[in-house]
Amino acid sequence: MSNTQNALPEPGAPMGHFVSDLPFDPNEGEAQNSAQARFAQASQRQLMWWQFRKHKVAYWCGVFLFLMYATVFISEFLAPYHQDTRNSDVIYSPPQPVHLFHEGAFIGPFVYGRDQTLDMETLRRVYTDDLTDVQPLRFFCQGDSYDFWGVIPGNFHLMCPAKGGEAFLLGTDRLGRDVLSRTIYGARISLTIGILGVTLSFVLGIVIGGLAGYHGGWFDAVTQRVIEVLQSIPSIPLWMALAAIIPVTWSPILVYIGITVILGMLDWTGLARAVRSKLLSLREEDYVLAARLMGAKSGRIIGRHMVPGFMSHLIATATLTIPAMILGETALSFLGIGLRAPISSWGILLTEARSVNIIALYPWLLFPVVPVILVILAFNFLGDGLRDAADPYK
Amino acid sequence: MITPRITRRTTLGLLASTLLAGRAFADAPLFEADLAAGTLPPMADRIPLNPRVINLPGMGRETGVHGGTVRMLIGGQRDVRLIPMNGYSRLMGYDADRNLQPDILAACDVVENRIYTLHLREGHRWSDGSPFTADDFAYCWTDVLNNPDLYRSGPPVELTSDGVVATFEVLDPLTVRYTFATPSPDFLPKIAAPLPLVLFMPGAYLRQFHAKHQTEEKLAEFIETYSVDDWQGLHQKMSRSNRPENPDLPTLEAWRPRTAPPSEQFIFERNPYFHRVDQAGNQLPYLDRIVLDVASSEIISAKTATGESDLQTTGVDFPDYTLLKQAEKIHPLKVSLWRRTQGSSVALLPNLNCSDPVWRKLFQDVRMRRAMSVAINRAELNKVIYFGLARESADTVLPESPLFKPEYATAWAQYDPDLANALLDEIGLTERGGGNIRLLPDGRKAGIVVESSGESTLETDVLELIRDHMRDVGIAIYTRVSQRDVFRSRALGGEVQMSVWTGLDNGVPSAEMSPEHLAPTMPDHLQWPVWGAWYASGKTEGDAPDMPEVLELVTLLDAWRQSTSTAERALIWDKMLSLRADQVFTIGTINGALQPIVRSARLRNIPDEALFGFIPTSYLGAYLPDTFFYEKA
Amino acid sequence: MIRYIFMRVLTMIPTLVLISILVFLIIELPPGDFFESHIAELQALGEDADLAEIEMLRERYGFDQPQVIRYLNWAGGMLTGDFGYSFEYRLPVNEVVGDRLWLTIVLSVLTILFTWALAFPIGIYSATHQYSWGDYGLTFLGLIGIAVPNFMLALVMMYFANTWFGISIGNLMDRQYLNEPLSWEKVQSILSHIWIPVVIIGMAGTAGMVRRLRANLLDELDKQYVVTAKAKGLHPKKVLRKYPLRMALNFFVSDIGSILPAMISGAEVTAIVLSLETTGPMLIRALQSQDMYLAGSFLMFLAFLTVIGVLISDIALAFLDPRIRLGAGSSK
Repeated sequence: MSNTQNALPEPGAPMGHFVSDLPFDPNEGEAQNSAQARFAQASQRQLMWWQFRKHKVAYWCGVFLFLMYATVFISEFLAPYHQDTRNSDVIYSPPQPVHLFHEGAFIGPFVYGRDQTLDMETLRRVYTDDLTDVQPLRFFCQGDSYDFWGVIPGNFHLMCPAKGGEAFLLGTDRLGRDVLSRTIYGARISLTIGILGVTLSFVLGIVIGGLAGYHGGWFDAVTQRVIEVLQSIPSIPLWMALAAIIPVTWSPILVYIGITVILGMLDWTGLARAVRSKLLSLREEDYVLAARLMGAKSGRIIGRHMVPGFMSHLIATATLTIPAMILGETALSFLGIGLRAPISSWGILLTEARSVNIIALYPWLLFPVVPVILVILAFNFLGDGLRDAADPYK
Repeated sequence: MITPRITRRTTLGLLASTLLAGRAFADAPLFEADLAAGTLPPMADRIPLNPRVINLPGMGRETGVHGGTVRMLIGGQRDVRLIPMNGYSRLMGYDADRNLQPDILAACDVVENRIYTLHLREGHRWSDGSPFTADDFAYCWTDVLNNPDLYRSGPPVELTSDGVVATFEVLDPLTVRYTFATPSPDFLPKIAAPLPLVLFMPGAYLRQFHAKHQTEEKLAEFIETYSVDDWQGLHQKMSRSNRPENPDLPTLEAWRPRTAPPSEQFIFERNPYFHRVDQAGNQLPYLDRIVLDVASSEIISAKTATGESDLQTTGVDFPDYTLLKQAEKIHPLKVSLWRRTQGSSVALLPNLNCSDPVWRKLFQDVRMRRAMSVAINRAELNKVIYFGLARESADTVLPESPLFKPEYATAWAQYDPDLANALLDEIGLTERGGGNIRLLPDGRKAGIVVESSGESTLETDVLELIRDHMRDVGIAIYTRVSQRDVFRSRALGGEVQMSVWTGLDNGVPSAEMSPEHLAPTMPDHLQWPVWGAWYASGKTEGDAPDMPEVLELVTLLDAWRQSTSTAERALIWDKMLSLRADQVFTIGTINGALQPIVRSARLRNIPDEALFGFIPTSYLGAYLPDTFFYEKA
Repeated sequence: MIRYIFMRVLTMIPTLVLISILVFLIIELPPGDFFESHIAELQALGEDADLAEIEMLRERYGFDQPQVIRYLNWAGGMLTGDFGYSFEYRLPVNEVVGDRLWLTIVLSVLTILFTWALAFPIGIYSATHQYSWGDYGLTFLGLIGIAVPNFMLALVMMYFANTWFGISIGNLMDRQYLNEPLSWEKVQSILSHIWIPVVIIGMAGTAGMVRRLRANLLDELDKQYVVTAKAKGLHPKKVLRKYPLRMALNFFVSDIGSILPAMISGAEVTAIVLSLETTGPMLIRALQSQDMYLAGSFLMFLAFLTVIGVLISDIALAFLDPRIRLGAGSSK
C-alpha cells in the first residue's frame, strides 16, 4: 500500500504500482511444525499406511496373516512330524496336554507317555496317561525326515517328541497320523490356493472390467451379459462340472493348479463390475481427456492413469474374496471333487472328519476348522481396514 | 428231485388237526376289519392248499405274534429294491445254510441238469387275490421274454445254453417245464438270485398294458397318464418287480408296496395271500408294515444311533460300531456283527490287459503278482482297520463255504518282504533308483498307479498302508481316484494299471453255484477286462486270453456249465480255486470283515451271528425276515 | 419407465439363451454319461445292471445323436414345459421335483427374512458406532457364519441340537408327517427343525449384507445433506431415519439379485448334510450321476429364477431411484 494518490491519474498517464515491493516470505503466516509438514507432504501410500494403522484390529490381523503365510515356507520345520508319518499303535489318540510341573518340580515342557488298551465291548481304543513316564519335548532337534519343498532332504524340526516317545499335541486320526502336523502342512495348500486364485481373478477382473468400462458399447453389453450369466448359475454345479474335466491322470500338483484356475476363473465377475462402474465415472475426468489427446492408447490410459487411482479399493475387495476361495476349496473337497488325498489341505482334513462318529467320539479331528475360521476372519478385518484406509482423505 | 421238507400230506394233516381242535387260524389282527366286512376271504381260502411251512423251533427260533411296524432308513428312492431282496420270495431260495429250497414252488424236478419241471402250489394267489398259475409263466414266456418289441436281442442269456433258447411247455395249470438243449446247471441259482431271472408275471393285470391285448386308444391313454414314451416303456414300468414302485402290481412277496414314487417315505404292507405259514398255522409275515424313510447316506448311521431305525443293515459300517454300541445304552437297540461274504474286502487287481507293454509283461509274470502279495502286511491292515477281528487271507472263499481249503487262504498271503525282494530280483528288477525304488527294464521307476472309485475311506486307508509296504520292497504306489463312469471304459482301453475293488462277490459258494466270477466273463472284471469282453461277446469279438492259466479257467467254467453231477462241479470248483490261489490273479487282503446289524431290542428271530452279503444270502433274505416279530411288550 | 422395463426384458432373452447353452455344457462336459455311471454304480453294489433296459433308454433318448441336436431337443422341450425324463428316478422331471420345490421356497424365504432381520439393526449400529467394541463384536459374530465351512457348522449344530434338545437328526420334519396333509403339528415339527438350516445359511448372508450396508451407510452419513441437517438442529436419530436409511433401503432391494444364487448354492451343501427335503441334494445327486434332464432342467430353472429376481429388483430399484430411470448412458 503505499502512495495512493488522492486523485485519479490523468488520462493516458501510467497507473500507480499496486503491488507492494516490500520483501515477502511465502511461508509466513501459519508456520507448520515438523509433524504437520510431514503430513502435508506425505505420499498417498504413506497416508494409507497411517490410516490403516489406526484400525488396530485390521493391523494385527495383517500381522497374523503375514505370520501364517510365513509358516507356509517352513511347514516341514514347524511340524513335529511329517504329514504322512503314521503309527498303527496310536490310532485315534486324544490330544496330549503339555505339562510343566511333574510332582511339584519344574521340568520344562513334557508329555506323559500313553498306554493303549482295546475295549472289545465297544471296539474302541482307550488311552490312559502313564504318570510315571515323563517324556520331555525337545526343541531344535532332529526328527522325522522330510524333503523340504519336495526337493531338499532334511530332518530338522522346531519341536520333536522325546526320543522313542510320542507327542501328539492335537491327537491322531484314524491311521495314527498327527493332527497338528497335518494341519500345518495343510496350511500350505489352503492358503496359497486363495492367493493364487484371487490373483488370477484380479487380473481377469481388471482387464475385462477395465475395457468394458472404458470403451462401453458392444463390448460392454456383451460383458454385462456374460457377467449376468455367470452370476445366475449356482456356483457349485459350475465347479463340479469344471472339476470333473480335470483328467484323472494329472499329478496332485497339476490338479491343485487346475482347481486354483477354476476357482479364479469363476470369481472375477464381482471385481469386473466394480472396476467397470468406477471407470464409467472416472472416464469423464479431465486427465483422461488430456491423455487421450496426447495420443495414449486405451491400455495405457486404463493401466497407468485410471486404475492406480482406485487400486487400493480393488485390493481391499480382492482381500475379501480370498476367504471365499478358501471356503470354496473346502466345499469342493466335501463334494469329493478337486483336491484329494494324498495332498492334505484343510478342506481335505475337514472332509475326513465329517461324520457324526467323529464329532461324538473323536472331536479333536475337527481342529483344522480353527485356523480356517481365524484366517477368514483375519482376511475380513484386514480387508475392512484396507478399504477404510484406501480413501485417506476421508 | 428236490423235495420240500414237509410233504403236502403232512401240511394238510396239520391244518386239519388244528381245525379239528376247534381253533381257527390265527390271522393277522390287521385284517380283522376286512374279514368282518367280508372284503377279505378267511385265511384258509387265502393261502395255498400246501403252503410252505416254516418250522421255527426246528430252526432254533421262536414262534412269533402278528403285528408291528419296522422302520428302515434308505439312502435313496432306488433302495426300495431292498424289500424284494430282503423279502426273498423266490421260486427256489437259499436258506441260511446256503442250500436251495423250493419256496414259491412246491417242488422242482431236475433231469440231467437240463430239464426243469416246476410244480406250483395249488390255490396259490397273487396279492390281489387272482390265481397264480402256469398262465403267468406262459404270459411271461410268450408275450414278454420272447417278444422282440420288449426283448430286442431275444430272451435273457440265462435261458439259453450254447446259444440255443430253451423250450417251454405248460403241462397243466400247476406245472411248467423248461428244457435246455445242453446241461444248464446255472438255471436254479439264477432264479434264486437276489435279482432273479424273471419267469412269471401277473398276466391278468399286465395284459392291459400289452399291445397284443389292449386297444391302441387305451394304451395311448395309459402312456399319457404314466408319462412314458411308448407301450414298451409302459409295460416295463408297470411290470418292474425288482423295484417295487407300482402299488397296483400284484406280487408274491411278503410285503407289497403302498406308496408310489416320488416320495420320501415308502410304506409296505403285509400281503394277505402270502404262501408261507409257521408250524403253528399262523400266516407269515409277522410284521404288519415296513416303512422305508429316505435319508442322505451321510447321516444314516447318526440317525440309526438316535433310534430312528428298527432294522438297519445298509448305511452302517464297521467304523460306526462304537457309536452304535454306545447308543444301545440310551435307546432300545441291539447291535450285532455279521460277517461279510466277499472274498476280500479290498483287493488289488493288476490289469493283465494293460496297454503298457512293460507293465503287461510284468503283471502277467506270476512272480510279480506273488511278490506284491507277500509284500503286504495283512496283520497290520487287520489291526488298523478291523481291530484284528477280520481274517487275513488271499482273495478266495471263506471258511464257511464247503469248498474252502486252508491252503487257498494262506497261498502267498504271508507277510514276507524278503521273499518279495527275492522274487522281484529274480524277475530282473535289480536296479534301484531314487528313493530306493526299483527300475524297470526301460529305466523308468517301478511306480504303479492304482485307481479306485474313491468312494470308500476303507479303500483309501488300505492303500495308504499298502503304499508303505510296497515301498519297503522297492515298488512305488500312486493312488488316483477315478470317476466311476470312466473307470470301466478306461480299464477296457488298457489305461488302468491296477485297480482296487472288492474281491470275489460270492465268498461262500457251494459247488452248485456258478464259478463265473472266477474266470474272465465280463468286461468289468478289472483284472482282465479285455478277455472278459471277449467271453461276454460269445467268444467272437476281441482278444482271447493268451495266458494258458487263464484259458484253463475259461475251459473249466465251460465244463461247469455243461456238468451234470454235483461231484463233477465240486471238482471243477476245486481246480479253479487252487489255480487262482496259485496264480494270484487278484491280490486279496482281508476277508470276513464285520458288518454291524442294528435292530430294535424288541425284534426277535434275527440271528446274532450270520453271514451278510448280496450273493447268495440276498442280504437278510435267506434268514427269512417274514419270521421276524416284535415281542409282546 | 415402460421403455426401460421393455429394454430390460429384451436383454434378458439372450442372457437366458447363453445360460441354457452353458448349463448344457456343464452337464455334458464331464466324461461319460448317466448310463455308464449307473451301470458302474450297480456293479459297485454287487448287482448286475438291468443292461437291456438301460440300452433301451439310451437309444430312446437319443444319446447316440450329436450334441447340438440333443441341446436343441432339450431347449425346445423346456419351452413347451416338458422338462424331460429323469433316468435315476425313472420319472418325468416335474414329478421328481414335486414337493421339494415348495419346501425350498419356504426355506429360502425364511432365510432371507432372517438375514434382513439380523443385518438391518447390526448394520445400522455398526455404521453409527464405527470402530467401537460393539462394532467389532457384532461383525465378528456375523463373520462366524461366513468363516466356518457350511457343512461343518451344519454337522455340529445338528449333533448338538440332538443331544441337547432331542431334535431328531436332519430332515425338515419328523418322519410321521412326511406324506400327511398340512396340520398344526406338521407345521410345528417343521419349525422346530427348520431353524438350524435357516441359521446356518442365514448367518453367511448376514455378514456380507451387514458389511455392505455399513459401507453404504457410512458413505451416506458423510454427505453434505446429513451435515446440513445436523447443523440445522435435527436429532441425529431422526436424521438417520429420514435420509440415509432410505438410501440404504434401496440397497436391500438391489441385493436380492445377488443373494438369490448365493442362497441357493450355499443351501445345497447344508441340505446334503442335514438331509433336507429340498432341491439342493437332489440337484447335487443329479449332477454327480449326470442325470442330464433332471440336472439341466433344474439348473435352468434356478438360473431363470435368478434372472427374474434380478429383473424384478432392477425394476423395483428404478421405481425407487430416479437416477437409474433417467439412466446414465453407458456407451461413448
